[in-house]
Amino acid sequence: MNFLPLAHALASRQDLPVPAWLFAWGASIVLVVSFFALAAGWRSPRFEQLHERPLGAGLSRVLLGLPVQALCGAVGVFLLGFAVYAGLEGTEAPDRNFALTFLYVTCWLGFPFFSAIFGDLFRPFNPWRAVGRAAGAGFAAIAGQRAAHASYPERLGRWPAAIGLIAVVWLEVVWGKAGSGFDPQTVATAALIYSGYTLAMMAVFGVEEWCEKGEVFSVYFGMFGRLGIFGSRDGRLERRRPLSAATTWATIPGSAAVVIASIATTSFDGGQEGAFKDGIESLTGWIEDLGFSLLTSLRLSSTVFMLLCFAGVGLIYLLGVRGMRTVPGAPSTEKLRTGFAHTLIPIALAYLVAHYFSFFVFQEQAQFGFLLSDPLGTGTTDLFGTVNWEVDYTVLSANAIWYVQVASLIVGHVIGLMLAHDRALVYWPDYRNATASQYWMLAVMVAFTCFGLYLLSVANG
Amino acid sequence: MALLALIAATALVACGGGDSATTETSGGENAPVTGQFAPVADAPSAYSIVGGEAELERSGGGTTVAISLNGLEPKTAYIAHLHSGGCDQPDPGGPHFQFEKGGSEEPPNEIHLRFTANAAGEGEAETTSKREVPAGEAGSIVLHVDDSHEMTSVEADEPEVETIFVHEGVDHSQEGSGHPGGEPQQAQSGKVACADLEGAAAGAGESTADVEGEVPTVVVRDGEPVGGVQTLEFDAGDEIRFQVSSDAAEEIHVHGYDVSKEVPAGGTIEFDFPADLEGIYEAELEQLGVQIAELRINP
Repeated sequence: MNFLPLAHALASRQDLPVPAWLFAWGASIVLVVSFFALAAGWRSPRFEQLHERPLGAGLSRVLLGLPVQALCGAVGVFLLGFAVYAGLEGTEAPDRNFALTFLYVTCWLGFPFFSAIFGDLFRPFNPWRAVGRAAGAGFAAIAGQRAAHASYPERLGRWPAAIGLIAVVWLEVVWGKAGSGFDPQTVATAALIYSGYTLAMMAVFGVEEWCEKGEVFSVYFGMFGRLGIFGSRDGRLERRRPLSAATTWATIPGSAAVVIASIATTSFDGGQEGAFKDGIESLTGWIEDLGFSLLTSLRLSSTVFMLLCFAGVGLIYLLGVRGMRTVPGAPSTEKLRTGFAHTLIPIALAYLVAHYFSFFVFQEQAQFGFLLSDPLGTGTTDLFGTVNWEVDYTVLSANAIWYVQVASLIVGHVIGLMLAHDRALVYWPDYRNATASQYWMLAVMVAFTCFGLYLLSVANG
Repeated sequence: MALLALIAATALVACGGGDSATTETSGGENAPVTGQFAPVADAPSAYSIVGGEAELERSGGGTTVAISLNGLEPKTAYIAHLHSGGCDQPDPGGPHFQFEKGGSEEPPNEIHLRFTANAAGEGEAETTSKREVPAGEAGSIVLHVDDSHEMTSVEADEPEVETIFVHEGVDHSQEGSGHPGGEPQQAQSGKVACADLEGAAAGAGESTADVEGEVPTVVVRDGEPVGGVQTLEFDAGDEIRFQVSSDAAEEIHVHGYDVSKEVPAGGTIEFDFPADLEGIYEAELEQLGVQIAELRINP
């Protein structure tokens, strides 16, 4: 039996592994760039302030005003509702149903990609936030007072989001091995369950509080949005220096877990058919010998490996933190751990781009082609006349994909180093100590980047 | 791939008569290609002592094929076909050799030899084609019992018949994509012996994809690829050529390229299309949804 990840169930084309020569070039460039960064580091922080520039007051009033917000929220609610409907009522074929591609490709990959450039795009369209705010307004109108909320446990921080993030990817790449019941219905049902859970949590802790800390998609997409150039504060839209908003992201406990979960789950998906394949297979066989069915064994062993990825990525980061702690004048381990978490966001984004960029390009053709015109996959509707638009796999050559993959890892590496260097200058007033601490973060970044390159070079091996 | 070759080699040792096969790939006037007959793996026990020789000679734009066998059933009619693959294929020999691929399944488009064994169980036949079999494409010669001739007393009286281009109008080749409605099981079980010519395996453990005339074959048993999902590599711009043989009727679908072919139960089909998309694509059993091969098209 063959159980394949979701990507196989949707796009027919998989990426070829990065050839050895490109792997060698990529790794070499990473090392050279890293040493250059050490030598040429600036001496005062550059990103630690937002450097924001407010946009026109009129524009802010329109875009952040109630009508536009309500409209965006309604669009979000409609699209979620429609995806659930398509999942429940449409065809069982994953590649012909609107639900899977919309939720797991267009949204799950699209929001990180575009938010990293433009800022948090998900927030205005967040369907649960829209429903929660409407419900809150309704409650206030009827009861004549604002709803009271339980105070959110500070220690919990963003851990619910980190665990939720792993669960979302787990559903896709572990539970959803093709042919094992990961179909549009499953995803639609999961979306309904998640909606109920989210609205309940919003009722308990408050809409904005839960979006800030517990709501998986708000936290995850918002994290990448911190890299982007637009944002809003105090009812005013602003242009920011790229990356600068990221420096204030990881102030909530558990933030490091979110970004580590992102890197780990992408690593697992990228390696499950390559780097981890043999390991997963032998563990599956071992579990099978205990008397479990093949499918159960496979899911169990994949779960173990996904958690191992989380532990491994986390361990590398914590080693870097431990190392920095040894540098004279270092703040507490706790402070270092949250203080450098945001420097991994560019790495997480680079991993996403490297592993899913081509998949996104191919599958979005389906999204805006036949899936838009025939969302239920019945073969009888042609809403927009695009039902015959199939995916053109020639739009990206293998070489183009390889270069984007390697380039994204190198760029992510450089940006991560920049943010880490900047943060070190804040924590260590002495420039030499700041640089010394960065040997450790450099080692962490080189490890992640070379691991990322390695995963690409043995992908589908 | 190595595993597949190994399994195929061990499972079909009875067919391993190709040790003397010579492969001439250089041009010019070639020396005859010869091979030794040996029983196929699932031959009836009565044929366990079958032996003999096959010889294929290219000259002057034509091809002469001669076979001589012993250890056959006395006074029984046989037919031999030139096949494009080697004896070690799961369906020994693979598909019939054809001058025009996908064309007529009778001579002169294929090379058939008919004869009836004498009282001592010996027989021989020779045929000449006016066209030259391309180098490397003369895989093997496979011998069947010829059902259509069993009852003809005329030939039984004459033990040694040289048959050249007999046109019976009877379709003996029940394999191939053109005849999903036939009874391929019978055709396969009718196979008695096989002699490797140019289709001898290029050594176990080595990819056979590079050998001219040797097309990689994915073997499907019980709805799964033997030896796991097979990786087949091609270069963009080349031809994607591979075979699938299956014990059950299925539809083989190559994703991305969106090419499908029906394979009959016990039959073998060959894919041959240009590699114009780069990347990794799956070939799967469409009805079962099981992946059998991974096609890698390198830039």
